[in-house]
Amino acid sequence: MAVPGAVVPMRIEVLHLYRTLLRVGRQFSDYNIGEYSKRRTMDAFRDNKNLTDTRLLSAAFSDGKAQLEVAKKQAIVYSLYAPKVKSILDF
Amino acid sequence: MAAVRGTLLKHLRVNATPLPLLRNPKTFPNGLFNLTFNAVRCFSDVVMGSFLDKSEVTDRVVSVVKNFQKVDPSKVIPNAHFQKDLGLDSLDTVEVVMALEEEFGFEIPDNEAEKISTINHAVEFIASHPQAK
Repeated sequence: MAVPGAVVPMRIEVLHLYRTLLRVGRQFSDYNIGEYSKRRTMDAFRDNKNLTDTRLLSAAFSDGKAQLEVAKKQAIVYSLYAPKVKSILDF
Repeated sequence: MAAVRGTLLKHLRVNATPLPLLRNPKTFPNGLFNLTFNAVRCFSDVVMGSFLDKSEVTDRVVSVVKNFQKVDPSKVIPNAHFQKDLGLDSLDTVEVVMALEEEFGFEIPDNEAEKISTINHAVEFIASHPQAK
C-alpha cells in the first residue's frame, strides 16, 4: 500500500538538494548563521548517508526541503539587517 | 586574496589570445560564419570577458583541492579522480565543486557540476568559461 507523500528521492535529487542548501548557506550576510547552515547540512546529510529504509529516506528528504524553504526566507530577512562591516572571520 | 591577484593579473595581462573557431560553432553558411564571428569579437571584451590561462587554472584548482580537509595533499595530481583516487564520496565532491566556485568567483550550474569528477575535468571546464575570474 503506497503511503501518500513517501516519494523516495533519487540520488541526483539528494545531491541537488545538498548543493542548493550549501548555496543558501553561502548567501547569508551574517557569517555565523551562514557557517551554521553549511555545517548543519553537511552533518545532517552525512548522518543520513547510509539510510536504506524508504520511509526514513523520504522523511529525511522532505525535512531537508522544508529546511531549505526556511533557510531561503531567513537569508532574505538577515540581509535586511546586514551588519555594515563584514565579520573579521569572513575574509 | 585570490580575487585581488586575479584582478591584478587581469589589468597587467594583455588580452591577445584569439578565440579558437571551435568554441563558437554557429551554424551559418560559410560566408556569413566569419563575418558574424568577427562581429561578435568586436563587442566581446566587455560582454564575454577573457578566458583564464590553463596552467594558472590548474595551479589554483590543485591548491583548492589540497586545502580541502578530507584530502591527502600528497595524492593530489592533475589526473586525480575525486572519488577513485582521493577517496571522496559524492557529498565531498559537491563540496569541492562549491569551493572551486568560490575560488573562481562564478556559479557552476548543477548539470555541469554533476559531470566534474576529476581535477582535469574541472580545469577544462573553468578554463573554457569566460566568467571565471
